[in-house]
Amino acid sequence: MAKKIAICAVAQIKNDPDYHYLRFQNMLLECFESIIKQTKVTFDMEKGIRTIITCSDDVFDARTISNNGITDVVGAHFRGEEKMAQESINGLGYAMACILSGHDDLILFMGHCKESQGESRRMVSNLAYDPFYCRPLGMDYHNVDAMQARAYMEKSKVTDEHLAKIVVRSRKNGKQNPYGRENKIVTEKEAMQSPMYSDPLREIYIYPVTDWAYGMLLCSEERAKEFTNNPVWITGYGSCMDTYFLGDKDLTSNFSLKNAAQRSYAKAGIKDPRKEIQLFELSDHAAYQLPMWAEGVGIADEGNGGKWIDDGGMDKFNVNLSGGQLNGNPLLLGGAARAIECYYHLSNQAGTRQVKNAKRAVAQATYGGAGQHQAVIVMES
Amino acid sequence: MAEYWGIKVEDIFNTMQERFRPEGAKDVDAVFGYDIKDEGKWKLTVKNNEMKIDKTSDLAGCIATMEADGETFVGVNTGKVDATNAFMSGKVKVEGDMGAFGKTGKLFRKYVIAQKEMTVKDYLADMFATVVSRFKAKEAEGLEASFAFDLGGQEGGKWTVFIKDKVCTVTTTIEGKPTVTLEFNDAKDYVDFILGKIDAQSILAAGKASAKGDINMMASKWPILFEKYKDPMGGNIPEQELIVLKKTISVNQKFSTGPIMGKFLKGLKDKKIYANKCPQCGRLQLPPREVCAECRVRAADFVEVGPKGEVRYMDLVYYAMPDPLTGVARETPYGGINILFDGCKGNETLPHFIRKDQIEKIQMGWNEKKGTRVRPVWEENRTGDIWDIKYFEIDE
Amino acid sequence: MAHKKNRNVGIIGIGQTKHSSHREDVNQPELIHEAVSLALKDAKLTMKDIDCVVHGNMELFEMVHSPDLWHVLGTGAYGKECIRITTGGTVGATISCASDNLVASGMYDIVMAIGFEKLQEGHTTGGITNMACPLWFRKIQAGALTGSSAYDVEREFGVERADKASLTYRIIMDKHAGLNPNAHRAFGLEFSQIDDLIRTSPKLVGNLKLIEMCSQSDGACCVIFACEKKAKEIAKTPVWIRDHITVHKEENFNIFGYDRKFPVLKTHKFAAENLFKRNGITDPINYFDVFEMYDPASWWAIDWIRDFFGLKGDEHLKLIEDKEIMIGGKMPINPSGGVIGSNPIGATALIRVAEAAMQVRGNAGPHQIPTPVNHALASGFGGTMWTVMTMLEKELNW
Repeated sequence: MAKKIAICAVAQIKNDPDYHYLRFQNMLLECFESIIKQTKVTFDMEKGIRTIITCSDDVFDARTISNNGITDVVGAHFRGEEKMAQESINGLGYAMACILSGHDDLILFMGHCKESQGESRRMVSNLAYDPFYCRPLGMDYHNVDAMQARAYMEKSKVTDEHLAKIVVRSRKNGKQNPYGRENKIVTEKEAMQSPMYSDPLREIYIYPVTDWAYGMLLCSEERAKEFTNNPVWITGYGSCMDTYFLGDKDLTSNFSLKNAAQRSYAKAGIKDPRKEIQLFELSDHAAYQLPMWAEGVGIADEGNGGKWIDDGGMDKFNVNLSGGQLNGNPLLLGGAARAIECYYHLSNQAGTRQVKNAKRAVAQATYGGAGQHQAVIVMES
Repeated sequence: MAEYWGIKVEDIFNTMQERFRPEGAKDVDAVFGYDIKDEGKWKLTVKNNEMKIDKTSDLAGCIATMEADGETFVGVNTGKVDATNAFMSGKVKVEGDMGAFGKTGKLFRKYVIAQKEMTVKDYLADMFATVVSRFKAKEAEGLEASFAFDLGGQEGGKWTVFIKDKVCTVTTTIEGKPTVTLEFNDAKDYVDFILGKIDAQSILAAGKASAKGDINMMASKWPILFEKYKDPMGGNIPEQELIVLKKTISVNQKFSTGPIMGKFLKGLKDKKIYANKCPQCGRLQLPPREVCAECRVRAADFVEVGPKGEVRYMDLVYYAMPDPLTGVARETPYGGINILFDGCKGNETLPHFIRKDQIEKIQMGWNEKKGTRVRPVWEENRTGDIWDIKYFEIDE
Repeated sequence: MAHKKNRNVGIIGIGQTKHSSHREDVNQPELIHEAVSLALKDAKLTMKDIDCVVHGNMELFEMVHSPDLWHVLGTGAYGKECIRITTGGTVGATISCASDNLVASGMYDIVMAIGFEKLQEGHTTGGITNMACPLWFRKIQAGALTGSSAYDVEREFGVERADKASLTYRIIMDKHAGLNPNAHRAFGLEFSQIDDLIRTSPKLVGNLKLIEMCSQSDGACCVIFACEKKAKEIAKTPVWIRDHITVHKEENFNIFGYDRKFPVLKTHKFAAENLFKRNGITDPINYFDVFEMYDPASWWAIDWIRDFFGLKGDEHLKLIEDKEIMIGGKMPINPSGGVIGSNPIGATALIRVAEAAMQVRGNAGPHQIPTPVNHALASGFGGTMWTVMTMLEKELNW
């Protein structure tokens, strides 16, 4: 039996294009109060929360030490707090380490991002590139993703029609998700007639600017029963960093995702994800990434993404019933959103989206251009 | 008078007039003093974009006086000594108005150490004088050889470099039968070749030079046996220019204020100061925050406080702090104060600025002792911003 | 709550760059690579042996978003697991704690923590000011500069004694930095200069003088952590992480009590008390052999010594006045020269852990404490008075 930690409760606010009437502190507070209400957890130095892990980003927040402004609203006053300055999914992996290490038995995990605050998310991701060469060239996550999209679509025979199909499905699924961003339902034809953004990616093929916050209470196996009758377990986590320069890598190889998935599966004791996992939540920052990451986590054959979509792979493997990242989550927080969707299914609270008898789920998330860093977690009921 | 790096303290003062930058002297109207240990005292007068320097025995009337020893003074002025380090470690001291003295930094172009030209003869002397020190004995195991140089022209000469038993010696003649002899028609070509200005191929091809004997010994072994000759004139110039890119990066932001901070900022429009109150412990927060961090509960009730209060603490800021939102440096000194408004207690203070001309009159409160009473000075057109209060002033 | 740990974790490799304000010769990944190479060499390992890389700095200082992506060129994280954790000034200490957790959890056997900053590539005081709320404090704050700590100490002990203690502390740090080849600033100050420096060193804010404030450095530090089994196989003297604690405080700059009826709870004191209590340390000043303290300014430092060790009255000032905090003294503080000597912020708190561990190993070099070091303490500071404390041990004997 693999070592595991429990998710006892989750909380979130609705994904929104612009919470212009709220500070991110207000957004977090909603989630914080919900977790306390659901679990009655305290901040007692012996029995309560001593460590809070947060996830946020200095550049998106335009604040040096973005977690500095939220100490009070996440309950961290005179307690420990550490910031995952990376995709939120890694916060779950790190929380797992904190708990399994014995240093903590209870972790509050909170995240926020207000993408609407800055003038342009492209200006933010442009800053991820070196100031000498790639940054002046104008590289950002979207146009680097577009290069990967072009190469991948060629390799796996994915067409504009496939991308349109993914977007239409994402928005339909998103409508079923009470916390999903409100997006216009479109037809495939409308999608394919929509404006081009970074060729071959149309604007509608890229996740929209979104504000969101969440909270999760995580704890050791022994203590889960104190906070819930219906815990969901995290049994595996794995990540992998690819190299930086685009010319140094094969953009279609899924190198980092394959490694991350294998590491995560190994920890959770998964041998065949197609048979052992009933639900997949993939962070598709752009539509082409859904089949590409499906190949990476091992549910579509390599080089066959187009056919996999035609054969109904997305529904067969229950991929992105939440609407996925493509329906709208902040860039930084896609992984937490994926994990929360898995939590709902595994604890039988997914409403109209519920996958029957879901026992195991996979949440995947990535950051950087062209999926440079990838991480995968395995969750079980 | 002592020399440092070939420069006398007087040289620095005597060249001030020619190094003077009128554009750097705008708004400067002051007399500065220089007290250089064992060297003397100088008085610098700057007025109406002009300057005057006088050697003096009396530095009375100077707004600020710099003290240093001669070596440090010359070093700082020529860039041989790091000015910040000299200053911080007390080797350079400034008595009087530090802020005013800071302006002297922009008054002058840097003093450039004049470089003496080196002739071909100087170079040849230096090149052969450094042969022994550049010799790498461990590369000469079991080697016995002699390298002869026959360099023609007016400034030329003859040299032989002997290597035996891992010892290197040089003579200014050519004796016996050298292992290899290098002949140059003009010694200048040899100097240029060693300095990397021309390559060996082109000299040989043009018939300007020839080698006799074991040519391989000169072409392949010499570079291993000796460290490369370093041009003393290029001594401080790094081999590779280190390029630094300067960029200002900004992404425009719109910061939401939310219901709590928003209420506080809206209050300012109406000349009212609202603190929010913790429903459990009762503490007030300024500016208000969404929760009471200590009790971990929402704090949505507001109490009007002030607008008058007392100063509990003042940070008297001398460091020219750039405003992070505009990049413009704040004018110093200024006073950042923490105000305890009427209706607040303990540490429930709000930070803002005090009127500049009142800094010196401010008394800080401590325990039971009251601080100076202050009141806000409101902006005419208020927008719900920190600057709706221009500053605080003493409430007399 | 007694402290428990799934398995023991030891430090097996340490590398740090020369800290300096002139590192135009390297770019960011190259600077990191220097520290990484040195740490691997120290541990006699290669990147193949590393399971996970933990990266930390404050990205707004250099204005690079998610810098671990570009820095992979220097961190060696290619193909590895890699996480990035930051917590402001404490970040270096936090990635040390995180590495301890990652190894202790059993998820990874060998983890490498990298703290980094290239402060010359941005405006440090502007960067620190940007941490404040954009609606209010940001427009008033002067970075990390405040004279309030000086004001506090002067109120309590009189201006003359306080000023002298601050400069004595500062000169001790300079003497230590003079022994540390990696230190950024070592001026060669003498105790005879105290009165002179009090008079002439330019004031920054209130009575906080230029000489008393930390430097702005470029530098990187890399520390390698391993599980007990591997640590014993690889290292001659692994340095064991006994425990660590992190304490944050609300965002509020009115952090100094001005009224004895309303005392302010201090994070350093709270952290130290809890950490020592759960580890059964009743007399910390005698228990520890060295303390690497995050000392951003000498005023803060002299005040904090009291908080960390739970000293009473003026015991902390006496330690300084009697020079007991010098190498060879009763409680040596910052043999490295401390943060006042070198401050590449993202690396600074990790350097505290690294330097403390070097003292335990006994191979710190010219600034090694002459007597055996069995128990070491390191602290980190950041944000609005945040604390991280780490306890290191020579033997697994708790």
